[in-house]
Amino acid sequence: MSVAERLLIARLKERDEQAFGEIVRLYGDKVFSLVYRMIGSRAEAEDIAQEVFITVFKTVDGFRGEAKFSTWLLRIAANQSKNRIKYLARRATDPEGLDEGTLAAATPHIAPLSGRIEGPDVMIEAAELDGLLQKAIAELDDEQRLLVILRDVEELSYQEIGEITALPEGTIKSRLHRARMAIKEWLDRHTR
Amino acid sequence: MFSDFVEGTLVARDKSALEQHLAACIQCRTDLESFRRAVGSLGKLKQAAPPRFLPDIQQQIYKRSHGRFFGRRWKLFGRIPFEWVSLATIIAMLIYYIAMLHGTPVGVRGP
Repeated sequence: MSVAERLLIARLKERDEQAFGEIVRLYGDKVFSLVYRMIGSRAEAEDIAQEVFITVFKTVDGFRGEAKFSTWLLRIAANQSKNRIKYLARRATDPEGLDEGTLAAATPHIAPLSGRIEGPDVMIEAAELDGLLQKAIAELDDEQRLLVILRDVEELSYQEIGEITALPEGTIKSRLHRARMAIKEWLDRHTR
Repeated sequence: MFSDFVEGTLVARDKSALEQHLAACIQCRTDLESFRRAVGSLGKLKQAAPPRFLPDIQQQIYKRSHGRFFGRRWKLFGRIPFEWVSLATIIAMLIYYIAMLHGTPVGVRGP
């Protein structure tokens, strides 16, 4: 952890409002991105990502600096996302008010897909590719989805991923490989 | 093995064996290419936080802390400076008390 980061955390522990603003500006996109890709719904992701930073503001005294601050923050984001997915899955029997992305995240293995997408040119369109990838990762289980997001979307090191998930490197690598193969196969099936 | 190959962490002997196999197997070459494309595309999924993200969080904390944090700031003093307001009140009362001691009471005539 850099000296600047240490000072920022020390200010945050004193509940310095400006320091909190800097923390949100520094890590807001990363946290939002992780949560959004885990959940698949913008509205839910905004709500959870806000809760993550509120939790940080309340519990920063518990951060002892053993890991990187960003790792600690992303662990909170990952846990809150998983909890919300469980909550949404419990509510899935009453899906009123949940959008397609949220339902896909809550019920990844039974999410209906609206037919096959014909033609490889579809892949060229960035927006459609985004949608396809989101559907592909929504098919994974929570743990696999988290690993793919941390490694391939957020580009974290295996050590950082280990600190966030508390999994050994070998387990991360084998689960990540299975998840990547599942995404590849899903894309192969739906873009031919 | 594809993951290690794509990440460049495959040990030299395995890498060489895989490359030899790929040179001869069109199916595996196609699979590797689509694997590489899929993994590479995931990097484009980064998503920026909404523009009102910080103000919305500050508002939430303001509400939950009953105004203790992220309250409206005064232009000149920042937060309402209660300590200074108290001190100013004490000084004003002191001045008033001294003025009362030394001044002529209103409505009382001299001899």
